[in-house]
Amino acid sequence: MRAFGNHIFVTSLASAVLFFLYAPILVIVIFSFNDSHYTGLPFNGFTLRWYVELFHDRQILTSIWNSVYVGLGVVAISVLFGLPAAIALDRYTFPGKTAFRRIVLLPIVLPGIITGVALLSFYLTVHFRLSLHTIMLGQGTALMCITITEVFARLQQMGKSQTEAAVNLGANEWELFRHVTLPGIASSLFGAMLIAFSISFDEIAVTFLLTGRENTLPMTLWSLLRREVTPEVNAVATLVVLVSVILIVIGMYASRGKNSASYGNH
Amino acid sequence: MTTGIELRDLRKLYDGHGATAWAVDGVNMRIGQGQFVTLLGPSGCGKTTTLRMIAGFETPTSGQILRDGIDITDQPVSDRDMRMVFQDFALFPNMTVAENVAFGLRTRRMKGRFSDAEIRRKVAEHLDLVHLGSHAGKRPHQLSGGQKQRVSLARALVTDPDVVLFDEPLGSLDAHLRKVMQIELIRLHRELNKTFIYVTHDQDEAMAMSDAIAVMNVGKVMQFGTPREIYDRPASRYVASFIGHAHIVDAVVAESRSDGLMVRLGNGEVVSLAQPAKVASGQSVGLMLRAEDLSLARPGEGELHGQVADSLYRGEYIEYVVELTGNAGLVHVHEPTDLPPFAHGAPVALKVNAQKAHVVEA
Repeated sequence: MRAFGNHIFVTSLASAVLFFLYAPILVIVIFSFNDSHYTGLPFNGFTLRWYVELFHDRQILTSIWNSVYVGLGVVAISVLFGLPAAIALDRYTFPGKTAFRRIVLLPIVLPGIITGVALLSFYLTVHFRLSLHTIMLGQGTALMCITITEVFARLQQMGKSQTEAAVNLGANEWELFRHVTLPGIASSLFGAMLIAFSISFDEIAVTFLLTGRENTLPMTLWSLLRREVTPEVNAVATLVVLVSVILIVIGMYASRGKNSASYGNH
Repeated sequence: MTTGIELRDLRKLYDGHGATAWAVDGVNMRIGQGQFVTLLGPSGCGKTTTLRMIAGFETPTSGQILRDGIDITDQPVSDRDMRMVFQDFALFPNMTVAENVAFGLRTRRMKGRFSDAEIRRKVAEHLDLVHLGSHAGKRPHQLSGGQKQRVSLARALVTDPDVVLFDEPLGSLDAHLRKVMQIELIRLHRELNKTFIYVTHDQDEAMAMSDAIAVMNVGKVMQFGTPREIYDRPASRYVASFIGHAHIVDAVVAESRSDGLMVRLGNGEVVSLAQPAKVASGQSVGLMLRAEDLSLARPGEGELHGQVADSLYRGEYIEYVVELTGNAGLVHVHEPTDLPPFAHGAPVALKVNAQKAHVVEA
């Protein structure tokens, strides 16, 4: 099918868009291997020096670990509260259901700065000490809706007859969840966990307001960048890009494999 | 004590976007143990809602469901020991065929009742019952539609319930497979002596399989009887037109005797029927004429007259569409293909089988 007549025009437009998106990332990757203290030409030769320095920099290593710690906590909060909420939305009718649906989706629409300010004033009012855990709570409440929407969409797609069949065959709530609901939503739940983790990993607006003494990776990079773009920062960025790509590929593979096996014939 | 299922004045109010309507509006029914009963009607007639209330998936707004004389209206689904076969099969995609069938035997409430060996034996036995013995290790997505429905049937039967509920189970299969599965279901019903409650909108399916049919419309049971009663003696104009392509011609009762009726059509022609009279002289009625109760003859040799409007060669028979004189309506007549054909536009007479023709309310 040829929906667009001018093949050359469409191809060059697409190339331009892709170049605009990915060229800056490519530049960072290239300069992370440049044997020079400055990000910029000339290219003095290939080196892994910046990666080696990176792994000796306690500040950066600590902030990477802090980011992972916060990300895992956010995933836990998101699943712990989002999963039951999604199941409740799918399975039951209760007063105020429509309002509940809108409210849980609100945090993703609100600018992070608003969520951050609101949570900050709340924590100060109840005398919470700011720490990684307050960041976790702040991001977790905002990202809970990812699990809710992803899992809810899958549950709707599954339909209610599998659930009804299981209950009809005498299954209790746990057996229903363990053998029917969870296998059905596993791939979308996993996908939601990956998305929540990766958003949390580079979140800065909420984190900026709620952070205590410890810093997450984006915060540390931000403070380093205020001086200049060092080769070390390029190396960190390259690693983050690499890990993100790996996670995205895993996520896509997991959800696609599941879809073609179970729902391909629908 | 009566065994079986009894529905007493069952009602269900549906609330869709602010507007409320009775999905089920006062259904009364007795279904004896071991019967094959079909709820038949067009979509939206309340048949599926009635079935889902029996299963426990829907809570009645009012009324009662009794099982062997005991009120089960508020009993949870999982306690009812009635198994449901769904239109979309509702198989568990992450389990093999054998695991699907074993599901009902492996729940906690069944714990200790069957050993693993017994479960394996029962699963194998029931897969054989539905001719799927060699597919035990497959996943649902590797099966055809007909095979999936057999798995869902085996899964329902393996726990040996007294009652099996069917929600349009053949609705998503093609015509040929439907016929095969109908015969299969009749065989299973005969062999297993279980109560089958079956929902369909397909009247051929209902006629072929059921001991009794409840014809439903707008949440009410219009008639509950054997297929023969419903076909030969429909209780209302609605039932007559829903079942078996009947043509209903307006008429007035000319004479009402204890052993029969005479009715006069709008064009003045008179038909006599063997139907016992429950209607008074002078009352307006609908005369139900089915293709197989009519035969064509030369003018003057039958009770009714008309003109051949169309003839369709159907292979097994020729179907004539005859326009009755005086705009009394169109009727269809089936004639054997070996008789000399009637030409388009030819004047014809129609003989009416007095034993089979029937009047319903106007």
